[in-house]
Order: sequence, then structure tokens, then C-alpha cells
Amino acid sequence: MGFLTVLKKMRQKEKEMRILLLGLDNAGKTTILKRFNGESIDTISPTLGFNIKTLEHNGYTLNMWDVGGQRSLRSYWRNYFECTDGLVWVVDSADRMRLDSCRQELEVLLEEERLAGATLLVLCNKQDLPGALNSNEIKEILHLDDITTHHWLVVGVSAVTGEKLLSSMDWLIGDIAKRIFTLD
Amino acid sequence: MSVVGKQLNPVQSSSASTASASAAASAAAAAASISAPGNGDGNGSSGGPMGGGAAAAGASGAEGKRKEESNVSPEEVLNLTKITDDYLCSANANVFEIDFTRFKIRDLESGAVLFEIAKPPSEQFPDGLSVEETMLAAAEELSLDDTADPNAGRYVRYQFTPAFLNLKTVGATVEFTVGSQPVNNFRMIERHFFRDRLLKTFDFEFGYCIPYSKNTCEHIYEFPNLPPDLVAEMISSPFETRSDSFYFVENRLVMHNKADYAYDGGIIV
Repeated sequence: MGFLTVLKKMRQKEKEMRILLLGLDNAGKTTILKRFNGESIDTISPTLGFNIKTLEHNGYTLNMWDVGGQRSLRSYWRNYFECTDGLVWVVDSADRMRLDSCRQELEVLLEEERLAGATLLVLCNKQDLPGALNSNEIKEILHLDDITTHHWLVVGVSAVTGEKLLSSMDWLIGDIAKRIFTLD
Repeated sequence: MSVVGKQLNPVQSSSASTASASAAASAAAAAASISAPGNGDGNGSSGGPMGGGAAAAGASGAEGKRKEESNVSPEEVLNLTKITDDYLCSANANVFEIDFTRFKIRDLESGAVLFEIAKPPSEQFPDGLSVEETMLAAAEELSLDDTADPNAGRYVRYQFTPAFLNLKTVGATVEFTVGSQPVNNFRMIERHFFRDRLLKTFDFEFGYCIPYSKNTCEHIYEFPNLPPDLVAEMISSPFETRSDSFYFVENRLVMHNKADYAYDGGIIV
């Protein structure tokens, strides 16, 4: 039994997953986190640090980390990469002006060694807004089809209505579970 | 020096009221006060015995020094078999200026906020203040002002109604700010006891905290399934349910807070 096998078995017992939510500021990371956890989304202010939720979901312990996306905070993201099983990249689908910097930031993350094993879920948020691009358009702009290093999925969601939020998170958890908790 | 009881009736905020009156207001509502511990010696020089297995840690030597430079390890507090008799570090050990600014408990079934206490926003970082914060501030003006006792603010008293023990899923949020230094390997260990019986252990690694950041952490958990006779005893024994919260930075104890709990609110004796 190799080290990796032992590790896998330990994690299997714990059934713990670490999920990191990142994206530009005002993408809706905190709103998504709160909506997913059934919390009021009436008063949300810019995150100047992190918000963590730990919860049980589908038999797993999820540790969800939402780290502030303001430019001044992005250099700190690296401090939260370690042991990440799932990366949720949140996009403001109505913020056309910044989709280019959104793509650049994502590309940097995907080259990051400590995120190499993570499943990527791209959430095209704010689908309830009239000017929002759909998930296909965002897939093109972010060049998602070029990604070969990570399992990934792109979904159009709305944190305000909750549309498709749960099902896409379930996909993420399922994909991680298949990779990490599979019996050898 | 018990100062303030703050209760949010589910959703609605009410003015500060006495614990018993507020607890009667709704099924599982809570009230709390933050106060100095009963012993008058909270100046960091107490030589009182420490609880449990950690008693040996630095029991001799310059007493004040001992408490500032606590060498209690995470493993030691995880092995404690009861509430400690004393704080295991002085209030001055918090060299990273970690400051708890909010505690909140909600019921996930109903969505109701059962309890919320926040530090006056004037003492927090100047970012946008919500109406809610301003309202809370009014109620808590008294509670956290610095008195002569350095242990003020390290101890919280919670008063719940019996219905609290019937809740199924609870979310407990803490909000904290950190000072000018980055904080590495920040870890929280919380131990809940009823008398000498361990009810629950939290052990969570926050890891890194950004300088001048404001952070939140919510633990959503299933309420432990307690046998009915134990529940009855907990209800009839107010404040014998107690907790120790230990905060470590790079395995050094920097903060130790205590709380106790009553579940007999609204019961007319």
C-alpha cells in the first residue's frame, strides 16, 4: 500500500472537501455562498478577507472558502490554494468590460501547481440580469475549450433566483468524489 | 458586572432586555451577556490551577510571563476532560490583534436568526455600516467598553429556552478582524462540556489571514443527538453547560475565551 493509497483512505474516511470560490470583485461569490447555504442575501458588502462555511452536504463535509476579489486582495489568493479539491470561478455575466481581465486571472490560476488537481466549475452568475451573456458566450470569451488540465464545467446561474446553483454544485462535488474517494 | 442582554427575536431586533424576559418571547430565542468572570483577579497573574491535562504547562516561574507566553499546545487542549478553571493565556497574548466582532446563531430549518451580538462598529474597521450594525451598536455600547478588567469580553453567557435543544441544524457564525500583521496557521479549537461530559469539539484551521482583513466563518452542523434525560438535566442545570474556545497561531495559544449556557429561559419556576 503506497502513500497515496493511505492518503486516499484517510480522506475517504473523513469525506472532507475543500472548495475555493474565486473571481473578480462584485462577481457574486459571497452571494452564491450565502444562497447555497440558505442565508439571507439582503445585506452583502464587499469581502475584505474571507468567508468560510463548513457544512454537511450529500454525506460530505464541505469547507467552502470565499476570498475577496478586489484587485488588492488577489495577490493573497495563493494563500488559500493548498489542498483545494474544487475551484469555483464566479463570473459577472453582465460585466462585459471586465471579461478580458476575468479570463486572464483564470488563466493564471489554472497554471498554479497547487490547484492542479482541482475540478473547475465556472459559474456565469447574474443570468437574471437583462444584459447578461449566456454560458456559451462566456465559454468562448474565457477560452474554456482550451482547458485540458482540469475537469471543468460551465453553467449559467443566478445567485438571486438560485437557478441551477444546487445542481452545478452537486456536479462539482460528484466529480471531486469520483477522483478522490474512489476505492482503489 | 453583567452588562447587556441582546436578543434578536427571529428577524426582528428588539431593544436590550433582561435575559429572562427576552427568552420568554419566542420558542428558541436567545440572550447573552458579556461580562467579566466572577473572580476578581483577572490581571494575568493568577496562579490558579489550570484545568485538565494542561496543568503542568509553565506552572512555575514568573507568573505574568507564563501567561503571556503560553506554551499550551493544540494537542493538550484537545485532551482536556473538562472546562479549564482558568484562562490558559493572558489577554495580552493576542499579539496579532485578532478581534471577534460578531457572533451569530441561526436555525437552518426556519432560517431564523436566534442570536446575534456584534461589537460596536465604531471599534471596528471603518467600512460601510449597515442599519443592523448601528442598531446592535446602540444595544452593546455598554457591554464591551474597556473596564479595568482585562478579561472583560473573554466570557459570554448565553441564555436559551428549552426549545433550543430541539433544533436540528444550526449555523454558528463568528466574524473577526486581524491587525497589521498577517496571521499564519490560525486554528480554532472549541470544547463544549456539560459538567464533565464532552458534548462537542470543533477543530478548524483557518490558515492564513490577510492583514487588516475582516473574515467570517460559519459552522453549520447537526445538533448532537442527546438522550432525553441528559437534555432534562441540562435544562434544570443552568450554566453547567460550558465551553472553552482556544485560538492558536502557529501552534501558540493567542486567545482563550469562555462561555456558559442556560436552557431554562421562559420556564417559570
